[in-house]
Amino acid sequence: MSTIHPANTIPSLQGGERQTRRFSFGLDKISLLLVTLYLIIPLAATLAFGLSNGKALDFSTYPHILADPDFTQTLVLSLELSLAATVLTILLVTPTAYWVQLRLPQVRPLMDFLALVPFAVPAIIMALGLAEVYGTPNTLISVLSFGLVPLLSNPPFNILNTAPLLVCAYVIISLPFVYRSIDNSLRAINTKVLTEAAYSLGSGWWRTFLTIILPNILPGVISAALLTFSTAMGEFTLASLFSIYTFPIYLNVTGQNDAHKAASLAILSFILTLICVLGIIFLVRLRPNRAQNEDKLDIVAAK
Amino acid sequence: MAFLELEGISKYFGKTTAVDHITLSVEEGEFLTLLGPSGCGKTTILRMIAGFETPSSGNILLDGDDITLRPASKRPMGMVFQSYALFPHLTAAQNIAFGMSIKRQPKDVIHQRCAELLELVGLSDKGHSYPHQLSGGQQQRIALARALAVQPKVLLLDEPLSALDAKVRVSLRNEIRHIQQQLKMTAIYVTHDQEEALAISDRIAVMAKGQIEQLDHPEEIYSNPRTVFAATFVGSSNQFKGVLTSATEGLCRVDDQVFHVSPLPHMHDGERVLILVRPEEMSLQDTNEAVNAVAETDSNHISGVIELRTFLGPFTRFHVRVNETTLLTADLPNQQARDFYVAQPVVLSFTPDACQVLPLDAADLELERLAAAERV
Repeated sequence: MSTIHPANTIPSLQGGERQTRRFSFGLDKISLLLVTLYLIIPLAATLAFGLSNGKALDFSTYPHILADPDFTQTLVLSLELSLAATVLTILLVTPTAYWVQLRLPQVRPLMDFLALVPFAVPAIIMALGLAEVYGTPNTLISVLSFGLVPLLSNPPFNILNTAPLLVCAYVIISLPFVYRSIDNSLRAINTKVLTEAAYSLGSGWWRTFLTIILPNILPGVISAALLTFSTAMGEFTLASLFSIYTFPIYLNVTGQNDAHKAASLAILSFILTLICVLGIIFLVRLRPNRAQNEDKLDIVAAK
Repeated sequence: MAFLELEGISKYFGKTTAVDHITLSVEEGEFLTLLGPSGCGKTTILRMIAGFETPSSGNILLDGDDITLRPASKRPMGMVFQSYALFPHLTAAQNIAFGMSIKRQPKDVIHQRCAELLELVGLSDKGHSYPHQLSGGQQQRIALARALAVQPKVLLLDEPLSALDAKVRVSLRNEIRHIQQQLKMTAIYVTHDQEEALAISDRIAVMAKGQIEQLDHPEEIYSNPRTVFAATFVGSSNQFKGVLTSATEGLCRVDDQVFHVSPLPHMHDGERVLILVRPEEMSLQDTNEAVNAVAETDSNHISGVIELRTFLGPFTRFHVRVNETTLLTADLPNQQARDFYVAQPVVLSFTPDACQVLPLDAADLELERLAAAERV
């Protein structure tokens, strides 16, 4: 009778496993290091450039910047615009993507196409287009928009060259990231069956959306929100064409006068955006279903 | 009036007819199974009852109320899905509580009912587990508890066991049946698995091409099928196509042989028929020893050679080659099966009572092909 001796076989297996693991761990580390360097070097260079006045380190730039009223004003405006654009985009796109997934799957190719259009259209064209639509009276557009465009083109609701139109433009340019990200999340969960299960338990459309679908696509929604927020924070062309003095414009104006100050500003804006992003992530982690998210992470880690 | 009634329900998807003018009554506390191959319309019927699809024509009545156009969320139905459809971000207990919290039941009631239902499905210790921490069978138990939590008038089960492995499938189907009887719950169950349907149901509706072929008790469906499709889809059988030579005496000509069947007063001489014999109705004898038996006039006998012998646990199956095109099947208790071996010349015998005779027309032939294709 032949017997297999585990003692003879298992150590060699384990040894092989350990070797592979050590090898892949090394490769991981190298690629991680390369990516970190790729991201850190420009930031570090900008930081160094901002802190030097040509001869020695000069820390006085930062108190100067913080004392500048334009800095605070433009920064607050940009934060407000970005937040408004983020909230509006998520509120518009998430229920729409869910509705399309659930009831109008045949429209999905059209939605995919529409979501890609802002990528193809340069910001300057979009700005001119918006100015044309809201700035010049046009009967056809008035009819097609059911009178909404004329209403928004004239006082007291005029939005041409105002912050609300800029917010709307931000919503459009962020559509590709937002729609893709949310649509992918919806596809990853069994949206239709989960919805039907909720319906059969007496839940209506909105309740199903808010209590069943949204919590399950939250990671996608958050990444969409972060992308929208950062895009809007750094957007220059549209704000410039609408003559709205946002933070990137202030950055540009400053850069034309004092390159060192502009570099310091860039670092400051980076840190601020980072704080906002971390803040959102932290808020999400505080949610009651945190435990499950952590479990999910554990599973991913185990895999 | 029955508890749940479908009156002339049809459903068209474009030019395709999924459900073709079906009328069906389900009594309170009854376990009805819709059985059929994929695409026969069984799931569409269930989805129309649940409210996920609107019938193209016809009405659905529940306890006398017309619910045809009522939205799914307002129907007193509980549904169990093939893919479990548990909410991934909620624990087992929260999943069960979901429907009750929508109905704004007091928290202590919800809590108590959750505990009862978890106990009913045998998962009292899994209330705090998330769906991904449970096995397929456990998830489906939770899904069943969740559907029962809203105290539905009708429980709808859409192939709930298809995604599970064989052993769990059998134990869970018994459990579903036990719980249904315990709660006296009206249940409609969709499956393509005939064994499951026979085991679990009070009545079975055998469906093909959007229509009900036969609606009957499991025993009747198996032993007395009314249509060729029902006969070939449910259970396995040996089939002989022939012509009825004498309806009153019960004589059929199959190729060059005369078969004795039970007298068929409602059929006519010269009619084309399909004769079905279940494998367990066949008996085997060694050719040399069968001389006496063949002499008996009322039994049917066919000679052949054993081609394959398959041990299937409770019984042994023999495939017997009769000629180039005909391969017959006989199931024998293991004790009798010991005497037979591959390549042995044998005589297959079956009594006239074992023969089910069905009239055969062109449409039946097509349905028979459909059933045969499904079984492969």
